[in-house]
Amino acid sequence: MKTILRFAQLSCRLQVEGLPDVSVGQSGDVVGIISGWSLQWAGRPELEGRKQHLLALMQVVLPYARYLLSGVERPFGTPPAQPVEISPHPEGGHQLVLHSSQADTAPLQLRLDDAELADLVRVLDQLRLDPRLQLALDLPEPKPLKAFELERRTPLGQRLAAPVGGLLALALLTGLGLLLPVPKPQPGGTPGAKTSATPTSLPLTPAKRGS
Amino acid sequence: MRQVFAAPSGSVSQSSPSGNPAEPSFAGQHLPRRGLERLDLLLLATEAIDLNGGEALVLISEQLGFGQIFASRVELWTRRCHNPLRRAARRGSLKPLETDALIRILCAMADRLYPVLRVMLSKAEPAEINQQRWELFESRMAQLVGERMNPRRGAVHALLDPQAGLAQRRRLIQSLALAAGNGGFERLRASLLDAAA
Repeated sequence: MKTILRFAQLSCRLQVEGLPDVSVGQSGDVVGIISGWSLQWAGRPELEGRKQHLLALMQVVLPYARYLLSGVERPFGTPPAQPVEISPHPEGGHQLVLHSSQADTAPLQLRLDDAELADLVRVLDQLRLDPRLQLALDLPEPKPLKAFELERRTPLGQRLAAPVGGLLALALLTGLGLLLPVPKPQPGGTPGAKTSATPTSLPLTPAKRGS
Repeated sequence: MRQVFAAPSGSVSQSSPSGNPAEPSFAGQHLPRRGLERLDLLLLATEAIDLNGGEALVLISEQLGFGQIFASRVELWTRRCHNPLRRAARRGSLKPLETDALIRILCAMADRLYPVLRVMLSKAEPAEINQQRWELFESRMAQLVGERMNPRRGAVHALLDPQAGLAQRRRLIQSLALAAGNGGFERLRASLLDAAA
């Protein structure tokens, strides 16, 4: 018997249809096999797809939210390997791009504000943590970010300012050093003559006894 | 209008199960200094949104069964005072069990306040009304920060600055919205354990 899981927030509603996987002993109203899903947005096209598309959506949206929590705004999703992309929108908010496998269908682009993104994250969390979903989901585990990943928070100009400034200072000092005149050798004098004129050691003649 | 969302078959890997993941590898780590600062500031932001936030935090702590860790409101308060930005900051670090409990309380509080957080972040709300909400939040936040934080610290100055602190205050609200509920716990904990930049 088909089971329908529904998760709703103010701006979006996720509906997942599935069946219990009888081969592993599931029964009742659990979902072990996802047969289809739909995501309804207020005032936007409804999305539909199969299990792998829902998984692709979760695989980019949840890590994106994780990085946003650390203040790092970076894109996720690399088509065609992943049919879903999400990235910060240049004019504010977030851009979700959904690629279709149908050749004549252009990618669907949705611009979300922070509230709509939070709604999407919440419905995906509700699905992920629903005990009725008895299905293995291949989702990345949230991990603490390394220092180099956090550097993205600083604009590129600020990050490059110190090394570029250092290189410029080095180049300037090198240029100034090259402008200094090279000392010319003194006329008529050779280094060997100068050293012979001023002996630095005593003659190696043994002193006579009794003198 | 309906968009059929289909991708090349087999384009997404489906390997090992991790729907409800086990305890992550970083569980049991102590929160670094920055993590403690952010955790306390996020709790402070919930208090700025909810006038009765201090009482609500104690109530949620009891509801979640953290009565043994935080036996009284004073215990809860002293744990929060490990924030180095506090006027009377306590030395030392918190046990992972205590920080996890504080994060759980924060996520539950954010879940409770989610409708307000959502409205504050939404672009669909009337701009004038939303502006008033933000002004109210910022004035309460400034009052709480002024009362409890050390004004000589640069981070406190930056947070209180009307212009320079604007992005940071907005990030606090965004973080609360993304950390709301049970699903936000792992995300927020991982974020608080970030390396020092």
